[in-house]
Amino acid sequence: MLRRYFITLTGAAGLALGAGAAIAQEAPAPFDAPQDVTIALVRYLSTGDFFQAYLSGVETQAEALGVNLRVLDSRQDAALQADMVDQAIALGVDGIIIQHGLTESMRDAAQRAVDAGIEVVAFDVNVENDAIPQIEQSDYLLGKLALEQAIADNGESFAAGYVYVPGIAPLDRRHVAWEEVKTAHPGITEAARIGTLDNPIANANANQARAALQANPTISVFFAPYNEFAKGVKIAADEVGMSADMSIYSADISTADIALMREPGSAWKATVATNPAVVGEVSVRALALMLAGQDPGASVIVPPTLITQAFLNDQDIRNMEDLGEKMPQFQHADVAMADWIALPSR
Amino acid sequence: MNDKILNFAVRYGFLILLVGLIVYFSLAAPGFFGPLSAAFVLQSVAVTGILALGVTCTLVVDGFDLSIGAVATSALMLSAYSMVILEHPTIVAVLLCLGMGALVGLLNGLLIVKFRVPDLLATLGMMFLLIGVQRIPTQGNSIATGMTLSDGTVAEGTFSAAFLWLGRHRFDVFIERLLPMPVVIFVVIAVVIWLFLGFTRHGRLMYAIGSNARAASLVGTPVNRYKIAAYMISGVTASIGGILLAARLGRGDIASGNNLLLDSVAAALIGFAVLGAARPNAFGTAIGALFVGILLQGMTMMNAPYYTQDFVKGAVLVAALVFTFYLSSRRSGAGH
Amino acid sequence: MSDAALHVSGLKKSFGRNRVLRGVDVTLAPGSVTVLMGANGAGKSTLVKAICGHHRADGGQMTLAGRPFDPADVADAISRGVVTVHQSIDDGVIPDLDVANNLMLDRLVDGQDGLFVRDRRLRAEASKVAAEMGLTVNMRTRVSDLPVADRQMIAIARAMVRAPKVLILDEPTSSLSATEAARLFDLIDRLRAQGVAILYISHRMSDIRRVAERIVVMRDGAISGVFDTRPLDYEAAVTAMLGHRMNEVDIRQRTGTTPLLELTELQIREGAAPITLTVRDGEVVAFVGLLGSGKSRLADILSGLSHPLGGIMRINGTRYAPRSVEEAVGKAVFLSPKDRGTNAVIPGFDIADNMTLPFLRGVSLGPFLSTRRQHKRTGDMVERVGIVCQSVRDGIGTLSGGNQQKVMIARWLLEPAQVLLLDEPFQGVDIGARRDIGRHIRATAQGRATLVFLAEIDEALEIADRIVVMNEGTIVGEHISDAINLAALVADITGPDGPETGLHP
Repeated sequence: MLRRYFITLTGAAGLALGAGAAIAQEAPAPFDAPQDVTIALVRYLSTGDFFQAYLSGVETQAEALGVNLRVLDSRQDAALQADMVDQAIALGVDGIIIQHGLTESMRDAAQRAVDAGIEVVAFDVNVENDAIPQIEQSDYLLGKLALEQAIADNGESFAAGYVYVPGIAPLDRRHVAWEEVKTAHPGITEAARIGTLDNPIANANANQARAALQANPTISVFFAPYNEFAKGVKIAADEVGMSADMSIYSADISTADIALMREPGSAWKATVATNPAVVGEVSVRALALMLAGQDPGASVIVPPTLITQAFLNDQDIRNMEDLGEKMPQFQHADVAMADWIALPSR
Repeated sequence: MNDKILNFAVRYGFLILLVGLIVYFSLAAPGFFGPLSAAFVLQSVAVTGILALGVTCTLVVDGFDLSIGAVATSALMLSAYSMVILEHPTIVAVLLCLGMGALVGLLNGLLIVKFRVPDLLATLGMMFLLIGVQRIPTQGNSIATGMTLSDGTVAEGTFSAAFLWLGRHRFDVFIERLLPMPVVIFVVIAVVIWLFLGFTRHGRLMYAIGSNARAASLVGTPVNRYKIAAYMISGVTASIGGILLAARLGRGDIASGNNLLLDSVAAALIGFAVLGAARPNAFGTAIGALFVGILLQGMTMMNAPYYTQDFVKGAVLVAALVFTFYLSSRRSGAGH
Repeated sequence: MSDAALHVSGLKKSFGRNRVLRGVDVTLAPGSVTVLMGANGAGKSTLVKAICGHHRADGGQMTLAGRPFDPADVADAISRGVVTVHQSIDDGVIPDLDVANNLMLDRLVDGQDGLFVRDRRLRAEASKVAAEMGLTVNMRTRVSDLPVADRQMIAIARAMVRAPKVLILDEPTSSLSATEAARLFDLIDRLRAQGVAILYISHRMSDIRRVAERIVVMRDGAISGVFDTRPLDYEAAVTAMLGHRMNEVDIRQRTGTTPLLELTELQIREGAAPITLTVRDGEVVAFVGLLGSGKSRLADILSGLSHPLGGIMRINGTRYAPRSVEEAVGKAVFLSPKDRGTNAVIPGFDIADNMTLPFLRGVSLGPFLSTRRQHKRTGDMVERVGIVCQSVRDGIGTLSGGNQQKVMIARWLLEPAQVLLLDEPFQGVDIGARRDIGRHIRATAQGRATLVFLAEIDEALEIADRIVVMNEGTIVGEHISDAINLAALVADITGPDGPETGLHP
């Protein structure tokens, strides 16, 4: 059902192919000579596992296509990121991927790129431009799927702890799902709300979660929709000795998270994640479609996957590579595809 | 009479405030008062407290160490790298981290006394350098068991039980599994630094350097050596903080450590106000760290949102600085 | 005196209870150089600061070219035509800007040229100013890259851009070499010819001989002598400055027998004649001389702070060449430095910590300080030296200046010294404390060589068995205390007559 939804969204992307088996055939211009194609990745955020993985996805897909990739990294400097778009224009690139950023600073720069005849896609930043498709991992769905699992495991009535820092766009979108679930299930109460982005984030949240658990020992579910939050809550649950009595539901995943979820007696029951490397690949493919004159659609959504503790244990999954193998829908998304686009080999 | 009140306020004001806070939270937040809660408060301030004790030593010689947060997170990464990727035993990982802290302190000290770089700038530079350097070996990735390395192999090492013990073990005191190891280490370091700064001639000479470096050098104090030593102490304590952090988290998280830096500097500065010392001191620093920890624990238990916590930290710091610089100067003025 | 450029009368200024200026009268004539002399603390700098607008005077009047002059601040004084070039050269220039910008700085500040700097015009005007002053430096050179003398010239030239009526030069040659100083004097001659009234503050007799037309001497906040009949009586001026009120000095001369400190052919400064001197056990030797005579330099060398250019030092016959203060202290050579505020007092410490600072090891058990021992030793010393305090735990800041100084001296009497060096031990100390300190130093002098470095002759006469006079980095005379010839002593301090300059026809 979800799958079909995404396929209709990305209708112009053509039909799905078996993963890893794609062979480029009769590629349309300019991909008949991909070595002459240059694309630029203009980044706002770059430190952290998620962004590293995203970059690797962009790199492998660009390599599979045979195009040149320039990476411009503004390191959370909004003004610099806008300048970097102008740099990319000056370099004469054919396409630009804008990765994160602020609407206010990127809107005009993106328009300048479009005016210069460059194809642009944007990941996780709304540049308010009809000519620029949005690549998104659906944060709303991330939250929604995790909470559905929480209800499936714990019933429709429980006292919950919640980790939230307002003003962070993906967390705000996940927050919408939480508010919806609370409205739909009056039996679910928010007993405590914590959250901080002080770094190291896990450490700071562990301190807060521990105080919250101590003050509210009735909490049986903790919704921590970001893996650093979940890790903090898990440390706190272990320290307070409540791991056996409560469950943590989160979003995002990394190799270290897999180890934590699989610890004996771990309270971290499930997480919902989009593979950032896949999002990177999709970004490049959507841009490639545009360069070939095809339309990837106004919004390209990469579907998230539910990963449960039970699944990890059953399949003996140790790291992200294992996860990709055992869970193909995590390793690959049938989004923004065309038969002439070679997929990265796996 | 007025002088007496002022004197009393300057001397005991902060401690009274601390007791008042504890009473208030005990009444307002159920579960706040108790040994478990106390152990948790101590645990949440252990790492920043240890860093703060180090920065106190540099403050004593009229220096400043902005690199402590970065040293701590570098130690965090280094211990993870050593154990997970290089598969070293615990003792090697710990020694590597301590050595790294001492080396960074030595470099800071040399930059400041030999190359005459102002302390804030030297340690700021070192901070950036470390934030960058800790990311180079793993190309910016966090380190965890099972991660794929750049050469395609999978990291097989794990944090040893002995290493994790440093961050997670809890001793049985009064009740079972109460006192966390980091708290024990924090208390030990606090006592050692308190003795060192307050009761040894080395500590006394360091205070002399901080108060009038020229006069200290003219009585034959090796000022440069003491300054370097202060930065090395600061580096080593910061690396201990990083080790405890790694043992608690169980992975090598990349992080700038800026919040660690800010919190520990705040603790050291609040410490100026404790007992009206009006100068950096180990006892005050420990109390300052505790003060912030109690406030945050109490507020979290009362469901206060995160931004109010920053606000409260700031308010406490400003109040402490007023205590230190305004009231104490009034007092010494009155003493004339 | 209506033709006076600046007339100061009855100027008073106090800081708290300290009366620094007690009614000073000075007159500066246009086109002439007046030299202002005075020992440390005589009130010279306060007088200068009152004239240049830095301090408001408490009483008295000033008139500038016949009109009342009461500058509100430094900028006001400058705009009225009173310009000061301070001793510290880099206060007068912006090291990171080039010469042209420095010369035209005031133009940049007053903002008459609009927002944008027109470099070409700026440089043209700056070149004109430089030419008038006989300055030949590239307008584009950064001032920090210039030698000291050129920087000094630029500071003065900058002052001249404002076409001042009165120019005050505070120790302008203190960091200049002889040839550099000669260039400065040429410049002063030119300014004099332009009709500027110059107040020249200096301790260097050679400078004074070269430029002075009048000498005004200050002592204890008042004018103690004005010399304007030619030839100028330099020795009288020095006497007026240092004073020689004979106190009933009660010194039983000790010459000692065993040589303790021996200096052989010690050269302390580039171009200075070497020093050979022996100080015997139990002897107190005072070194007197004007500022810059090399006294402090000699004290620094003996205490390991700096190193001689050549020669040998021996203590008890053993070669002595300390590389650091630490090493000197280790060999029981102690220096009590001058300016206790910056060089000796630890403001955050109490009396006990301040006093025992060099010898903390002696009051420790292992690495730990023994407060009991520390307080006992300090308490004994407080009694012996007569420090007025309530307890040894009192903060050093609660003591009067004299008592603070006693603590600083007592610090070095805690342990036996081979050589005790006291640089200006009576600085900022009242007469009572001075007597106490002097008596104690003499009483404990046995077993060591005591060297006291002083500017005031009175003080030297009070404490020393022997007075050694320094000038230009070397020893120029020796006087035995009980057979003092004051005139000869003053003549030694003043120094030999410099070459006549032809300034005073």
